[in-house]
Amino acid sequence: MNLIRLILISLFIFTQLQADTIYNLIKIPNLEIYEINKSNKLRYLYAKQPFTIGIDNNINCFNSEKKILDEKYKIIQKNLDRYNQKFLKKINLKYIVLCEDLSISNINTAGIPDNVMKTLILDVKFNEKYFERVIHHEVFHIINDSFKEVFDEKVWSDFNVKDFKYAECSTCTDKIGLDTYKKTEGFFTEYSRSTASEDMAEVFSHLMIDSNPDNIDPILEKKIQFIKNNLLKIDENFIL
Amino acid sequence: MIQKIKASKSEKIILIFIICLAIFSLGSFLLIKDKCLFVKNYDPKKIKFDKPNNIAVLNVPCGNVIIELYPEISPNGVKRFITLVKSKAYDDVAFHRVIKDALVQAGDLEFGKKENINYGKIGTGKSGLGTINSEVDAPFNFEKGSVALARTQKYNTEDSQFFIVLRDEPLYETEYTPIGKVIYGLKALEKIKYLDKSQYVLRPDYINTLRMLID
Repeated sequence: MNLIRLILISLFIFTQLQADTIYNLIKIPNLEIYEINKSNKLRYLYAKQPFTIGIDNNINCFNSEKKILDEKYKIIQKNLDRYNQKFLKKINLKYIVLCEDLSISNINTAGIPDNVMKTLILDVKFNEKYFERVIHHEVFHIINDSFKEVFDEKVWSDFNVKDFKYAECSTCTDKIGLDTYKKTEGFFTEYSRSTASEDMAEVFSHLMIDSNPDNIDPILEKKIQFIKNNLLKIDENFIL
Repeated sequence: MIQKIKASKSEKIILIFIICLAIFSLGSFLLIKDKCLFVKNYDPKKIKFDKPNNIAVLNVPCGNVIIELYPEISPNGVKRFITLVKSKAYDDVAFHRVIKDALVQAGDLEFGKKENINYGKIGTGKSGLGTINSEVDAPFNFEKGSVALARTQKYNTEDSQFFIVLRDEPLYETEYTPIGKVIYGLKALEKIKYLDKSQYVLRPDYINTLRMLID
């Protein structure tokens, strides 16, 4: 027993410093390259083992089976191929991390965007029904975080009816439904009602996958125009 | 009367064994001590270059490292590098960040100079010339031997620090500003001092000189 302990301690002491390029670049451990030869220069990485990051280690994600990764990668890359390299550089998005059961402070989430580290973590096992839309929703958060001054939340909030108020944060509300309303009344989904930035992200994602309801109310129409106009400020060639 | 005692056969064998062991130990010690023993030192004067104006010669403890610079890929990055080389600013500057078989980094002109090295701040120093913009849009294959300018976490913060990769690093494309490639003498960089437990090196190796082939 002592001998085993000694061997383990020796291994710990004498293990050489490993040069982990990915960790050095984006500060997420246990990742490997999935695909990097894309024309828009997005780098797709996957979790080889579970990882924990964030303040107080509050972000967790787990490795996925290869079959699931391969399946979901096709959907993800098809959607992200719609953003060209120039646009991705402007918004500061470069690394897509694929893993499953992604959570932040024990709350499951579809994705975690980080425009500072140029990274978007995506849960490949997120609800299939909304999966594609959610990809664009998370991309919008990167856009928004990189261009806060363009997507003014005060201006946006003023589109809503006077007595409407968003929640303090996206996780401090139970308005989490992602089904698209048949009758919109200023919002695409229940989740749109959580915060201004989630509302914007929902509008953007609906525009990207063209899943708008037949009748758009005037408030929502204004919101759509706001998103479209501001995207053109970032990139005059952006196509929705 | 002193009686002469003859050594037995086994004693003679032990004596020969000890002598062999001593020779072997001494030989090994000398070999280990000279880390540059099997490193070829290239003489740039004996090599013909297509673009001699773009050749920089980095002299390190184990010999010359010959770098071809690519001004057509990163004009501003190469211009900054040449400016500093011509002012001999890189002489006696430490390889302060070394990862075995991965990369060597040098060029902290403020805190990495041999005569006043500052281990607390090394890696954060400036050249005094200000920062330059990143040049990361041109396609570049970051293969073993590629030379690039280092930066902080943010783009457009390149200054004087540069690194050379000792293995292929495809993820560095569009991340760092490439300025050239080592065409001869990469082995000499593989012998730069590193630590097993830290990327930052205590009592590091230094650049002896860094010159343009044609001044």
